[in-house]
Amino acid sequence: MAEKITHSVCVGGPIAIHTVDGVIRRIRPIVLDDNDPKGWVIKARGKEFTPDRKVKPAFIALTEKNRAYSYDRIRYPMIREDFVETPDGKNRNAENRGKSGYRRATWDEALDLVAREIKRLQATYGKETVTACTGSHHSWGLVGYKLSTFARFFRMLGYTEIKDNPDSWEGFTWGAPHTYGYYWRLGGTEAFDLLEDGLQNVETMIMWSHDPDTTRGGYAGSESTLWRHWLNDLGVQFIYIDPYNNFSSVKQADKWFGPRPGTDAALCEAIAYVWITEGSYDKDYIAKHAHRFDEWADYILGKGVDKTAKTPKYAEAETGIPAADIKALARRWASTKTMGGSGMRGGFGGVCRTANGTEFARLMIQLFVMQGMGKPGQNIWAGTTGAPMDYNFWFGGYSDPLSQIANQPIADKTAVNCVIQKLYRPNVPDAILDGHYEWYGEGFCGGGIDLEFTEHIYPEPGYNKVHMFWRYGGCFMGTMLDTNKWVKMYKSPELEFVVNQDIHFHGEARFADVILPACTNLERYDIGELCNSGNGGYQSHSQTGNSWQIVIFQDKAIEPLWESRSDYWIFAQVAERLGFGQEFSEGRTELDWCKRFWEKSDLCEKISWEDFTKKGYYVAGVPEEWERHFGFRWFAEGYPCDTPNHKPCQEEGKLGTFTGKFEFVSESLLYWAPNDEARTPIATYKHSWEGHHSIKARKYPFHLITPHPRFDYHTQHNESTPWFWEIPENRVYINGNPYLVARIHPKKAAEKGIKDGDMMLLFNERGSVLCVARVTYRVEENTIHAYGSSGIYNPVDPGETSMDIGGCVNILSPGRLIGDMVPGMAPNSTLLDVCKYEGPIPDSQCFEYKLDAVAKDADPDAESCKEIIEGHGFEKIQAKVRASYLKKGAAAR
Amino acid sequence: MRLGIAVDSRMCMACYCCFTACKDEHCGYASKLSAAQPMMGQYWIDVREWERGDDSRHIKTATVPTLCAHCQDPACAKVAKNGAVYKRPDGIVIIDPEKSKGQKAIADACPIGAVYWNEEYQIPQKCTMCAELLDDPEYLAYMGDPKFKVPRCVEACPNHALYFGDLDDPNSEISKAIAENRVTPLEPLAGKETNVKWLNVPTVFLAGTVYYPKETEEVVIGAKVKLTCKETGETWEAETNYFGDWEVEFLPKNKNIDVEITFKGYKPVKCSAHTDIDHYTGMTYLEKA
Repeated sequence: MAEKITHSVCVGGPIAIHTVDGVIRRIRPIVLDDNDPKGWVIKARGKEFTPDRKVKPAFIALTEKNRAYSYDRIRYPMIREDFVETPDGKNRNAENRGKSGYRRATWDEALDLVAREIKRLQATYGKETVTACTGSHHSWGLVGYKLSTFARFFRMLGYTEIKDNPDSWEGFTWGAPHTYGYYWRLGGTEAFDLLEDGLQNVETMIMWSHDPDTTRGGYAGSESTLWRHWLNDLGVQFIYIDPYNNFSSVKQADKWFGPRPGTDAALCEAIAYVWITEGSYDKDYIAKHAHRFDEWADYILGKGVDKTAKTPKYAEAETGIPAADIKALARRWASTKTMGGSGMRGGFGGVCRTANGTEFARLMIQLFVMQGMGKPGQNIWAGTTGAPMDYNFWFGGYSDPLSQIANQPIADKTAVNCVIQKLYRPNVPDAILDGHYEWYGEGFCGGGIDLEFTEHIYPEPGYNKVHMFWRYGGCFMGTMLDTNKWVKMYKSPELEFVVNQDIHFHGEARFADVILPACTNLERYDIGELCNSGNGGYQSHSQTGNSWQIVIFQDKAIEPLWESRSDYWIFAQVAERLGFGQEFSEGRTELDWCKRFWEKSDLCEKISWEDFTKKGYYVAGVPEEWERHFGFRWFAEGYPCDTPNHKPCQEEGKLGTFTGKFEFVSESLLYWAPNDEARTPIATYKHSWEGHHSIKARKYPFHLITPHPRFDYHTQHNESTPWFWEIPENRVYINGNPYLVARIHPKKAAEKGIKDGDMMLLFNERGSVLCVARVTYRVEENTIHAYGSSGIYNPVDPGETSMDIGGCVNILSPGRLIGDMVPGMAPNSTLLDVCKYEGPIPDSQCFEYKLDAVAKDADPDAESCKEIIEGHGFEKIQAKVRASYLKKGAAAR
Repeated sequence: MRLGIAVDSRMCMACYCCFTACKDEHCGYASKLSAAQPMMGQYWIDVREWERGDDSRHIKTATVPTLCAHCQDPACAKVAKNGAVYKRPDGIVIIDPEKSKGQKAIADACPIGAVYWNEEYQIPQKCTMCAELLDDPEYLAYMGDPKFKVPRCVEACPNHALYFGDLDDPNSEISKAIAENRVTPLEPLAGKETNVKWLNVPTVFLAGTVYYPKETEEVVIGAKVKLTCKETGETWEAETNYFGDWEVEFLPKNKNIDVEITFKGYKPVKCSAHTDIDHYTGMTYLEKA
């Protein structure tokens, strides 16, 4: 009964998986052994800092076992009970989507139906009639990632691509490039080697809308938390600015400021006012590196068109922060070496997802510029990236075109989509329901600033509309905008056929006509590096968010559970039925594809395939005297860029703006969008189109902020992992339903008669969500805080836009984009009201329980959802799988 | 040898790795030392968290991973019948899953609520310090190094908030951590010798901010703050920082504390506070002397 140990990596970090007799027993962190290389040593202020010899996942990664045997696993292919395969695609009871139950189907039945419908639809309306969209990162690994297998299949098929909006970057993507370039990093900064710089030099950290222990370096698990403890122990002062005294702040902050949501840009202006009037900024640096600074300074001083000086008193009225405190903040920042930023990579924090997002991003950068950005201890660095790494070791990340099975050189032939029509993710429902939509930009505009201004129209002239939607992984109810629109879209007969391919029965799966059960990462082969999103991609060298650079063979720990199959198998089967099976697979198995990534990277020179797959991982060591390329230092000191992710303009010592300097008046905006009111050539604080100055505030007085979640990753974990429902700051399990915690200030709670633990209804004209109230001084007075990205979606009337008890607060967010020419989302500019809820509390009404009927039909002895959550279902499932494994093993012997 | 765990509350970020690893190990799996932990309702290591402060201007949380203290003289053992609770030679306290059947008194006796009652099996259950893994020669043998054998919660902690080792060895990591930090036994365990040690668990703070007269809109840096507890005669001193903020941590609980703020050229300001909970004494505006 020896334990087999395999490894994997997921969005929460790397894990070691112990398997006994064909069932997963436990999930552990990877503890490095003596054969693994030594860790780097940073010397700073008389101390030495080196990482622990274990790679640290976040708690979400430690639940991968439970996500595999979860109650909400889609166990069998399923077809909607009242779906009728009419020959013309009409009269299919589309209005019942989201409401109807499902019947079990065989794989052949489901796959044949999908293939038949694709053929029929494409023959009738053309290739463009099929559209498909994935969630982000519902699995990890270069074979299974959406830009690999999914992209290969759909590009070969030909389809209307749905462009993702940069939903974590927004204000930085659409704003920051106009100030300092870096469009190739989507407006994020370069943090190379800044951990060492920070440990050696920094005195003050500005954590602006930044909760590093919650966003965890993106996919770096808990790798960087200790770095911030080191900084703390060195006496570095941490100043947090966030309407919610977030989980990093409340434990670590030396000072917390809670501005009214969406007013951060006003705070930026007031800080600049103090510096300009007191002369406490780096004038030489500005003279050398800034473009049209004086015009902006005039605006700050009240000599601009609005004739309003941006004094601390002016900002006090907007933000609620006392003017005296604003002055003190400005002076501390100016008088000490200060680093900081917004969100895990300098740009990302929730404030960039407000109506003011672009303006905040640009103004925050301008502040760092005024203090000599790039000089030692003066930089945009948020304490989450910038560890030493061996820049000469290359293994691909998910956004590298060179490391996707859709493309050469991993594949022999690159898959190319023959359809140019596109859709834009935040507005897919608008396009389907209205039959028309137009927008600017390419979503992710890493290829150039001009891509922000491309014009799109749906349907493209000469093209037909979309009539089939294939959803793959995750749940947009919890992550997109005004998401009751998605319900309306799914119920529309415009969509003749809806497929959903997922591991778990997420909120969106229930709107499909056919559901295809995929397996987890633990049930198939893959290969991937921790937190590597692509060295040539838009988050280049994100692995510097880890202490260890580790490439992992994501071995198959167990066989796919029930009738689930790998995504690759599913797409290969459909490709086969559509006549391009051979082209799709090029004759390769999933394991063969894994080996291609080893072969086409530096990994093959470091370790043999046999040793790599046997050991399960490879740690790329950092040489004792590693190359240092401090972010922005080249620009501050005026030599050609030496950082590993550079562009030709930088080789000339210039930034990626028109002038090559920091633009305080943006020449690119003057050129492309001089009349854009949301994003003006001079970045300014603007009243939000949904904020405290809006007429609507008379009816809906509270701001709702929905930051990236602490107790989840996108929508992946909360639904599938009932243990998280027992974390008091996350959810409260009442009558068989897990209610999301929403936070309200004690003063406002008292006015509303709400006590801690009461049921609290969040509502506005877009919908209502029932939560549990947490009454806390940690939230700004006018703010309701509830984490976004709820994986659970449970309207009390399934299939209707009724009250949700799953905590899907994005239902309440505005569908409006930041500006007419700024296609970013702004869910943190939401107004609503709250009240104490005294209506009936539903009993165990999770829609997932509808899986029980299908499970019992397939196996009368099957465990029910509730039994798996609260009882012995989990143990029974493991016992059954073990028995079947041992039986098969005996037969083999 | 006396095996123990040290919990450093200052380093704990409430990341729930320990909580999850413990559940991963014990929910649904029995061992010789314990019955299976139910899927919901028990937290053998529970991240207890409370908010500190009564004003948004100064708010913190205390985060205290709480598990069985593995007391030297366990209260639960005293009420146990037929040897249902026993202490191993290495100091780990175990509740026998067979012998403890029906003995709810064992769960009720725990002063910190770390023993849970399993309604279905009618047994008390709690942390085993993963003794079943420490005992198992097969577990983790592949690494060949016994130092890697630590309880699951300790292994999963990314933040040096949990230490495991031999309390009798003064050179062990855990002994060093205890020597270098403020040892703060949980209140209900005061005076008891335990093998789980809590470090840096906060008591109560008093804090405030000092400003020049209101119309100036400026914070006062370097004002002297003196705290006095008449009852005990203790005093504490602080100085306002670059934000005009002052704070004194680790004050004794439930005492009346007199606060005096002085700054040259300005009238002294006096107030008092009761340390029933953490208080922000407010924004103090000085007046010219």
